Amino acid sequence: MFSQALRESVDLSLFWDYREVMLSGLAFNFHVFAASATAAIVLGLGAALLRVARALPFRVLGTLHVETFRNAPDYIMLVWVHFVLPLLLGAALGMRIEFHPFASAVIALGLVYSGYYAETFRAGIQAIPRGHLEAGRACGMSELQILWRIVMPQVVRRMLPEGLNQLVSLFKATTIVSLITVPDLMYRVSMVTATEMKPLPLYTGAALLYFAVVWAAASLVRLASERWRQRILA
Amino acid sequence: MGNWERLVWNQRELLLDGFLVTLHVCALAFAAAILGGLALCLVRMHVRPLRPLATLLVEFFRATPIFVQLMWVNYVWPELFGWPNSFFTAGWVALALQSSGYLAETFRAGIEAVPRGQREAGEAVGMGPALVMARIVLPQVALSSAPAIVNQFTVIVKSSTLVSVITVQDLMFQSQKLVNVWYEPIEILTATAAIYIAFVFAVSACGKRLSDALRRRFGIGSG
Repeated sequence: MFSQALRESVDLSLFWDYREVMLSGLAFNFHVFAASATAAIVLGLGAALLRVARALPFRVLGTLHVETFRNAPDYIMLVWVHFVLPLLLGAALGMRIEFHPFASAVIALGLVYSGYYAETFRAGIQAIPRGHLEAGRACGMSELQILWRIVMPQVVRRMLPEGLNQLVSLFKATTIVSLITVPDLMYRVSMVTATEMKPLPLYTGAALLYFAVVWAAASLVRLASERWRQRILA
Repeated sequence: MGNWERLVWNQRELLLDGFLVTLHVCALAFAAAILGGLALCLVRMHVRPLRPLATLLVEFFRATPIFVQLMWVNYVWPELFGWPNSFFTAGWVALALQSSGYLAETFRAGIEAVPRGQREAGEAVGMGPALVMARIVLPQVALSSAPAIVNQFTVIVKSSTLVSVITVQDLMFQSQKLVNVWYEPIEILTATAAIYIAFVFAVSACGKRLSDALRRRFGIGSG
């Protein structure tokens, strides 16, 4: 029984038969990933700037953002954004609102990962010597110019390895969007399993495909980070 | 406030039952992840013929999304190995797999950071390799890995919400059940999210204090 099951699970021809369906599902993972990564980085930078602001209310707001989203499980955020947020917005605006599953997925993952990115940005910003900012002010640069020309180049340089690792984690997190019916790879697998009744090759195929993508990305990140560190430290 | 009382406070027993299941799943997964991570790391470092297998497993556990692993363990393992035979077991085993991969790497870094001279000193006073490992190396690894271990526990708690998908009756499952009964998601889901966020926050805050205290008490340079 064992050897037959093993042969069946290694025999991924059923998965291969559905390759077009599966690959177009994987494309959804990449779309969700790209959109929520953009949202996470922009929101994360915003929250980090709030956290290092001079006024106390801004700092409180920034800390609240980070502690909420960094500690929230992805799945509960996904469900909350999809089922609760439209009702709250609808009540506030006095109309009926519904989110497309794709939009909910991007908002939820974007929010959760903005909490992680905010901390990375903050660490980078706070590592910059005060003298740099004072030097910028002394030559008459505006706050925005200082941020853009003095702070950000150094922050990006310092946070790159960790930021890339978080991108890999974010891609892994996109697999749960199938639970609110975004038709990603996992969603396709569960649909095909429902008709073919053969979970073994289908889920094994999906696991191997995700593994290949994530492992390749993580290895590239590792390689790039090592080189990057050598260049920066040199 | 009537809604909050009716939908959340009056359902507290159900939600508490769910939370206890969440704790149970997380505790089993955490214990298994530490043992599994230690085993993978020791095999990878000291059992030469099995090294490629251990490396492959560590990489696979780390690079596969947790939801995919959960579905894989739940649907494929019973056919492949005839185990696990319940959703509950499949849930904590899948959570443990992912974290054991991460912990194996943490432990390896910790073991490699112990200076060679200390082991040689242990051997010089007549300790065997197992005793050197247990008395000299592992206590230091426990100290240096404490923050990463705490972090892994919070990862397990966050991922544990997914076991509701395979009908393990944890907090997430109970709260979604309530939503399906009452069709009023606002209060229930908001309360559930708040419980999870507060719990993860508390775990990481306490864990940080604990590992700082351990380091102050036993760390090198603590006097």
